[in-house]
Amino acid sequence: MLQAEALQLLCLTASSGVPLFSRGSSKQLPFSIIGSLNGVHMFGAGHGAQLSSCETEHGSRVVWRVFQESLMLIAVSGGGGSAISELQLRRLLENVWNCMVMVLGQDELANIRNVERLKREVRSCYHLIDMLLERINDGQGMMGYLTQCADCVPLSNSGRVQETLDSFTQAADSEFGCLVVHGRVAHATEKWWSRLAPQEVVVLLALVYSLSGTSSCDYPVFLPQGSPTVAIRLLCFQLLPGVQVCVLCGPKPSLYQAGKELLSRFWSPLLETLRGCLEQTDRSILPPSVNLRWDVQALLLINRESRRAITVCPRVRGGASANATPLLSSARRLELLTHFYTFAVTRYFTSEDVSPASPASEPAPEDFSQGFTHVPVQCYLVTDECKCYGLQSPQHQLYLLTDLSVPTFALRSVATQTLSAITAATGF
Amino acid sequence: MSVLPGSIIVSHWHRFPDSKEFFSRILHKKRRRKFGLLEAPMMPPHMNVDTIRYKVFISGKTGVGKSALAARLAGLDFPRMHYETTGIETTVTFWPVKLKDSERVLFFRFEFWDCGESAMRRFDHMLPSCKEQVDAMLFLFSFTDRGSFEDLSNQISRITESSDRVVKLVVGTKFDLFMHTDVTESDVTRFKEVWGLPVFRVGGDVSAGLGEVAPLLNALAEDLWHQDCIAASSVSIATAALSQTDTEIIV
Ligand SMILES: Nc1nc2c(ncn2[C@@H]2O[C@H](COP(=O)(O)OP(=O)(O)OP(=O)(O)O)[C@@H](O)[C@H]2O)c(=O)[nH]1
Ligand SMILES: [Mg+2]
Repeated sequence: MLQAEALQLLCLTASSGVPLFSRGSSKQLPFSIIGSLNGVHMFGAGHGAQLSSCETEHGSRVVWRVFQESLMLIAVSGGGGSAISELQLRRLLENVWNCMVMVLGQDELANIRNVERLKREVRSCYHLIDMLLERINDGQGMMGYLTQCADCVPLSNSGRVQETLDSFTQAADSEFGCLVVHGRVAHATEKWWSRLAPQEVVVLLALVYSLSGTSSCDYPVFLPQGSPTVAIRLLCFQLLPGVQVCVLCGPKPSLYQAGKELLSRFWSPLLETLRGCLEQTDRSILPPSVNLRWDVQALLLINRESRRAITVCPRVRGGASANATPLLSSARRLELLTHFYTFAVTRYFTSEDVSPASPASEPAPEDFSQGFTHVPVQCYLVTDECKCYGLQSPQHQLYLLTDLSVPTFALRSVATQTLSAITAATGF
Repeated sequence: MSVLPGSIIVSHWHRFPDSKEFFSRILHKKRRRKFGLLEAPMMPPHMNVDTIRYKVFISGKTGVGKSALAARLAGLDFPRMHYETTGIETTVTFWPVKLKDSERVLFFRFEFWDCGESAMRRFDHMLPSCKEQVDAMLFLFSFTDRGSFEDLSNQISRITESSDRVVKLVVGTKFDLFMHTDVTESDVTRFKEVWGLPVFRVGGDVSAGLGEVAPLLNALAEDLWHQDCIAASSVSIATAALSQTDTEIIV
């Protein structure tokens, strides 16, 4: 249907199947195919069956989902080398919907009064949607779109930064503040973590990332779960290129006031500290006090309670032996990490889907694990490029990619050591 | 309000050798340097160069090229696609200027405010926020969209009040697409006569160095400086008058 590696997103009205837009690969699907994709879903619905996905022999996929009984999103991917998994497409639809709600509000999308008008309005979501499509396989080391956990960067000795963020947020009449370094959360206020849904944090970060070229901004946003019908304001300031501070607030302060009165008062004293943070993250996502084993190729660590995640993909290896195989390219390692994560959460581990917000209509990723009475806590996979080890505890999940040189029997201890080294040093 | 170009500041100063050490502070690897909000161009301490800050609002219909102009003036990557701006975005850029009489050099810190038309329409607080404490406004039309040109007068009177003390300039975008131009030279000349506002032309879908943006940034700087000088002199007259009355009362 589509060329290899191609990805397309369609949006139609759920009741009448009127196409609202299609984004993605340059060659659009013919209208007749769009019609059939809608038709086959409707046919199922008419017979009490819910069509959610299908797959061709060559790894092409279609995933459907109806939101608020109002709009249907369909993702279509071509097969090919780096086939996109069903989980990725499912998350894509969820993120796209959340972005649409964030920009336009739920009323506009759930109660369609005038299709032509809505067609015009949804254009304002294209920037974010295109970004989500582009980044499905190239998150530049960010996996939040897939894991639905906030991508984080743990900073070392940063009590002062946290204090400053807290008081800055308060001075901006807000309880929700967040410091973002290269698109990842370095610090956030207590309420940011406790009151925002992880899916909301993920799309807010996408928005903040899309604004990384501007000096400051004042964006009206709806929170898909916390405030789907009333817009609040996202204020965002680029303190240094690559370092942004954002707050969610009400009518006050104005962008002008906040920029003029609050910004330098709170943040200028921290200029050098922030420069240091930026340098640190340019070198590595992990603080220097964490020494990763040299044979670790990449890792994803998820804190299941706070729904935060760290993705590490070392640029160079420290202390490698002379006959060590060279590192795979970081793009490839991230791809493998993505595959392994998907493999593990769809087969063995509970995926982090547990939020009450995810509607019951969404089918469980795979029913394989349902035959078991126990929950697997570890799993591994050996490929001809690397070895993978996953482990989960009530608080964490770790997905680890290592060199082939690590003996398989040693993977478990490498993983446990890595987990405790990181959590001990960062409190993550 | 607008002054004759080159009457207060040195035009094309970026071409003169003595400007090099100043312009080098806003460049990095032959491109414009990006500054965070906590940063400013670094000059050696003995040089003591003042920085003055101005807020500039970019106004115009959707798709006319507001975000593109902000990027162009700041030397940032140019948006190829039209993505609607769904809120207010600001872009800060520094620009060194040499005053003609005193030979004093100043850094102008322009903060360009850009708000997408759809956001402006849907949310009432956007326009007042853009106008709060604004020093200058750029009114945009596109050479490829006659409607946007004809709407100019409307736009200007809708957004500004006669009492506003702001510098106003008009910018015609997409001048590079002259094949499709919808607005003629004589249209522009007539507009200038009626409104007494300068009209600048920009075009090209890349940001092509300092020369391209210098005329507009210099004009903006010159008009803003002039506006401030007038304001300052009227304030000093007012305070002089005030102190006189004071003495009278005491006496
Ligand atoms: N060729 C050419 N294209 C331009 C020029 N200025 C803007 N464009 C293009 O016009 C389109 C719209 O530009 P934007 O700057 O995004 O429009 P805008 O005024 O910010 O629109 P809203 O945010 O919706 O209000 C983009 O595709 C730009 O690449 C120009 O001078 N020349
Ligand atoms: Mg814009």
